[in-house]
Amino acid sequence: MTDINITEDQRDCYQELSNVAMGQAADRLARLLDAYVVLPIPKVNMIESSELDMAIQDAEKDTAVSAVCQGFIGSGIAGEALLLFKDTSFQDLAALMNYQGPLNRYGELELLMDVSSVLIGACVHGIGEQLEIHFNQGHPVVLGQHCMAEDILRSGNHQWTKTLAIEIHYTLEHVNIDCDLLLLFTEDSVVKLNKVIDYLLD
Amino acid sequence: MKDPNIEFGDIHWLMDILQNIDVGLVVLDRDYRIQLWNGFMESHSGISPQNAKEQVLFDLFDEIPRDWFMQKAEPVFQLKTRTFTIWEQRPYLFKFKNYRPITGRAAIMYQNTSMIPLESIDRSVDHICLIIYDVTDIAVNRNDVISANQSLRELHQYDHLTELYNRPHWEPKFADEFRRSQRNGRASALVLIDVDDFRLVNANYGHQAGDEVLRTLAGALRQTLRQTDHACRFTGETFAVMLVDTDAQQAVHFAERIRKDVETMSIIAPGHELSVTVSIGVAASQPAFDSPAQWQQAASKALNHAKEGGRNRTTLYQHHS
Repeated sequence: MTDINITEDQRDCYQELSNVAMGQAADRLARLLDAYVVLPIPKVNMIESSELDMAIQDAEKDTAVSAVCQGFIGSGIAGEALLLFKDTSFQDLAALMNYQGPLNRYGELELLMDVSSVLIGACVHGIGEQLEIHFNQGHPVVLGQHCMAEDILRSGNHQWTKTLAIEIHYTLEHVNIDCDLLLLFTEDSVVKLNKVIDYLLD
Repeated sequence: MKDPNIEFGDIHWLMDILQNIDVGLVVLDRDYRIQLWNGFMESHSGISPQNAKEQVLFDLFDEIPRDWFMQKAEPVFQLKTRTFTIWEQRPYLFKFKNYRPITGRAAIMYQNTSMIPLESIDRSVDHICLIIYDVTDIAVNRNDVISANQSLRELHQYDHLTELYNRPHWEPKFADEFRRSQRNGRASALVLIDVDDFRLVNANYGHQAGDEVLRTLAGALRQTLRQTDHACRFTGETFAVMLVDTDAQQAVHFAERIRKDVETMSIIAPGHELSVTVSIGVAASQPAFDSPAQWQQAASKALNHAKEGGRNRTTLYQHHS
């Protein structure tokens, strides 16, 4: 298989796409929580499967996290969204979401699902809209609760060598809420995505 | 995928698909009144589409908590985003029976649900679609894996015969308690309990009887212990008990109680009724101990002393500085 890569122009284009999608997602998150979301700058990179663990560890160093992933597919382009949530964020999140129940594992799972639905949904939808692709989303899967970031992917034997990774770090003003959204596209999807991007660039 | 050129006749078979697809479909309006209720929902709930139509969802199904549901559904209306619930957070939305009542191993149907916004012509969202997936098999399998892992962990921690902790699992707890007592000066005691003439029990009554003796003793130990105490099968016929927040005198009192209980206990083994005695060595934690091993040696010395002194007795380790 030929080495899959992206050119500088393509990277800029992905960056722009992500900016727009991320902005839409941030707007929805802000409306859901009624709070100010700090607008982050997405990072776009082609990474090796061995680097993914590092990317995740960089995102959440030395803290316990809870993680959810959700697959999406449309027009033959497939990917997975991964949301890593710092466990220290739940207290403030519960307050913002007006969550009344006890903040145990189940309570945290509720909050995690509510936030990931909105963030992942909006991001995937935002990217799809710009590319004129309708993405279907699978059901979210809990990868782990209260685990170290490096353990999240340990169980997976990766069937891919390289992936296009869009990493978005969300924080909120004045409250201790901190999460990372990773959009990962499979290798064969990157080939197709590049074609769509080239079409937009022309 | 919206095709405006759909023929009127096509609607007929599209409706057929909606009716027969093995997934629950419900359309709700802004007031959570049911607008569409497909065959799956009818079959599992026993409520016909005629009776469901225009009913408020929560009035019809009191197992769905209104506030909880709205927390998931309002973003669909307001933010036009899809939302999801999974069986791990709530096993089911609708209390339906398992599809396979005989071989299914779960009484209820586990469900994942999706809620998707339905845009009207002016692009506002006045309706949402609720999709119900049956994930019972996935949930049952997943729970099986979890409980299998749990019992593997327990197998790893417990001694098979006595169901007390095994020694590899007990040692770290003992080492922790050693450090704690050294740090805080907290009193704790190690008690070693050894069955007298165990070899004779095996020789005279057989190994099955020997096993029964150990099982019975372990059972008696478990009943005497507090939650915070840890007992293990230390070696073949020796048990170790770590008593926290317990000084030498209290530990000896505990040991004597066990010893007297055992003395009067009759053990029922296949074909025999027998009784045994135990010798017990007690060592309270000392600031002079510099390792957990030294503490164990002290208890061991006391135990040997009890054996040499004629068995069926308790000896307290005396520290000479």
